[in-house]
Amino acid sequence: MRLPAAVNSLLLRSSGVLIFLILWETAPRLAWVDPYFVPPLSIVVREIWLLLETGDLSRHLLVSSWRAVTGLSLALVVALPLGIILGRWLTGLASALEPLLRLLSQINPFAMLPLFLLFFGIGETAKVAVVTWVTLWPILFYTIIATRTVDPLQIKSAAALGVSRSEMLCKVILPAAVPTIFIGIRIGASLTFFILIAAEMLGAGSGLGWLVHNSAMNYLIPRIYAGATFIVLLGFLLNRLLLYIEASLSIWQGSQSGSPVAGQSRASSWRPDRGSAVAGTAILVLVLILGALEVRRLNQEALAGASSSSSHAKHFGTPADSSDGGL
Amino acid sequence: MENGALRKAGVILLFLALWELAPLTGLVDPLFIPRFSGVLITIRDLYQTGEFLQHTRISLLRAFSGLAVAVVIGLPLGLILGGWFPRIQQATEPLMELCAVANPVILAHIIIFFLGIGETAKTFIIAWLCVWPITFSTITGIRSADDSLLKAARSLGLGRWQLFRLVVLPSAAPSIFTGLRLSAGYAFIMLIAAEMMGAGSGLGWFIVQSQESYHVLRLFAGATVITFLGLLTDVSIRLLQNRFAFWNSEPGESFHLQGRGIV
Amino acid sequence: MAGVVDVPQQIQTDAKIVVKAITSVFHLKKTRTEPAREFIALKEINLEVKKGEFLVLVGPSGCGKSTLLDILTGLAQPTSGAVYIDGNKVTGPALDRGIVLQGYALFPWRTVRQNVEFGLEIKKVPKRERRAISDNFIHLVGLDGFADRFPHELSGGMKQRVAIARALAYDPEVLLMDEPFAAVDAQTRESLQDELLRIWEATGKTILFVTHSIEEAVFLGDRVAVLTPNPGTLREIVKIDLPRPRHNSDTRSSAEFGWIRRKIWELLQNAPHESRHHLNAVPVAEAISPTASL
Repeated sequence: MRLPAAVNSLLLRSSGVLIFLILWETAPRLAWVDPYFVPPLSIVVREIWLLLETGDLSRHLLVSSWRAVTGLSLALVVALPLGIILGRWLTGLASALEPLLRLLSQINPFAMLPLFLLFFGIGETAKVAVVTWVTLWPILFYTIIATRTVDPLQIKSAAALGVSRSEMLCKVILPAAVPTIFIGIRIGASLTFFILIAAEMLGAGSGLGWLVHNSAMNYLIPRIYAGATFIVLLGFLLNRLLLYIEASLSIWQGSQSGSPVAGQSRASSWRPDRGSAVAGTAILVLVLILGALEVRRLNQEALAGASSSSSHAKHFGTPADSSDGGL
Repeated sequence: MENGALRKAGVILLFLALWELAPLTGLVDPLFIPRFSGVLITIRDLYQTGEFLQHTRISLLRAFSGLAVAVVIGLPLGLILGGWFPRIQQATEPLMELCAVANPVILAHIIIFFLGIGETAKTFIIAWLCVWPITFSTITGIRSADDSLLKAARSLGLGRWQLFRLVVLPSAAPSIFTGLRLSAGYAFIMLIAAEMMGAGSGLGWFIVQSQESYHVLRLFAGATVITFLGLLTDVSIRLLQNRFAFWNSEPGESFHLQGRGIV
Repeated sequence: MAGVVDVPQQIQTDAKIVVKAITSVFHLKKTRTEPAREFIALKEINLEVKKGEFLVLVGPSGCGKSTLLDILTGLAQPTSGAVYIDGNKVTGPALDRGIVLQGYALFPWRTVRQNVEFGLEIKKVPKRERRAISDNFIHLVGLDGFADRFPHELSGGMKQRVAIARALAYDPEVLLMDEPFAAVDAQTRESLQDELLRIWEATGKTILFVTHSIEEAVFLGDRVAVLTPNPGTLREIVKIDLPRPRHNSDTRSSAEFGWIRRKIWELLQNAPHESRHHLNAVPVAEAISPTASL
């Protein structure tokens, strides 16, 4: 019997993951690996479910998202105008600045983390600053490239109509640059996901990274797996979503796939329009507001919990303070 | 050309001068941002004691052993999956994508169960992060070999191995180098993270120690050295790339790569 | 000669476009192989285009025809001389001139309709009116049913029709076309030429068309201005007396079409700086040339 090609290819593509999941379930059950250290898949799934039921997971997810979105927004606010100016108007300055910007972007984000902790204390600012720092560069570089490489013919045909500078920017340069800028945003977002989780492990009292870290400190092994699995799934979905949006944005750019795996993200019939942009922004704003409330609540809780220790420790992370949050 | 290079160097010098002058004139608090010369002097003093050199050596060893493992695994894996077994590649691609998203920071606590917190775990963590860009870019590179080029080569009666060595590999080289540069960048990022999370030596550990004991100068010294090492590695790979894969230099490539995409 | 300083802002004229003593000099920067030098792209060009006329500029690459068009558009300033439209000096780009470029230059993120409406948006035409106008011009270029397609979904010929519709939509009196059909295949090209003549007859626009194809120039134009390079000079203006309406097969296969084509070819071949002795050296070619009679 022959299956339809689509089903066939789907089966083939998912076979790797399926085999992995089956192994994960059976290996501990058959005692090929110690089930204490590797709990079977079903137990991990139940643990995720429990975390979801108590609301723990969503709370930490919200906190992490707030940090990510805040940092990303700050980076956008700085990098977009700067990138447009450097890419479009001050091109000479841009090429002169290039090595310096490269140098700065090469600074190890984890080396910046202690610096930010020193500047801003162990509070939210340090984590948001790290996220901003990390996302700033890809967004800046891609904005410079995007605005620099707008098709001169398009510029010319608009200029021939005598459009004003702002019309040129809003109606020609920005629309032409958006797909490429979005590549920068996507890269920034995936980097954020990576760095933020790490930063939360190194010094935080909340967030997804902290959840895993805290479970490890308390030897709650199924919860470690649950947290890690959830984070991986989240990262996967985020990556796919961003690639999807990127592909739809650059539908007219031909076969310019941004990344190795992006090759198979086919162009879709869906096209981002004003409605979806508004909806997306609304979701992000909602995350910002709800997250801010949650972060405040959690930090107050932490403060109340640590009220026995010195009250000014929060601002100026003393060694004792940072280690109590982190390791 | 020379003019441009001069101007670029000038901008960097200007930046360093600003770093030197801003704390000196009280524009920024020298307690938080020490003068550039102070940082340089600290680096010199640290190296004279020898202990710092030890940390640098250990860190470099970790980064490069992780990177080496990643190349040894990722390159053949990419070649095999991209070149000979497209069906297996299709079957494993989503799994590999998941693995690439499962960055080692999250897995660290699980990896520790199996490998402890010794050197093996650190090498593993770095290698895990570095292996995916190399694998993916190798697959992409092999896939993107020009069809007409392949046809032309085949018409000359090239054997399978010759075809691979003379046509496929050279056309994949630029992409492979791109992946390698990406991985090298990751190796240094991950190195510091790993050393911060659990180590008793290395530059990452040194930086955390300095932060916790408020040795701002030492913190800056450590961060500067790490940045310098990362930059040096990147430049070396770029020189290799220019030597072995000079035929594909896209414009604006330097800016592109700085994007440092995960996956 | 009118210097740079005292070019009058207005002149009395019946012509739609007056090109008056245009000279354009580029200062080439020093490169590794060559020192800095001046490059004269255009030298003393004088030209008049009547209202409703179809004038074609023909010349080889490097004769400055695109520079001339940029000056007409207002995107570039001449070193000396001036361009007048309806007697008013051109100082910059404006909506009284529409341009169609070789590479289509459509906005890929806009649908066919949105592309056509671009100039109208700049002109701040209300949305409902825009729609009616774009419907009309999309119909005129024969793209009914494609209004909501994106440029990447269209063929080259269709894209060029959109570009023409876009240039016509905001109702400029002059249409400037810079090798618009150079990128499409030969067959599409001929049907686009037919189409353009039909649109021209329907709208009565003044068209200034740049091409390097002699055949295209002869087929389309009322007059053909022949430009020769180094420096770009106007060699001659050839009047094309072929009857209108012109239809592809009849016109192109007529003997007269061949004679005119040949004449322009000769003009282009005998570029002035070498022609002096060439003309005398090869009298045989002149003798057998049928253009002598024209």
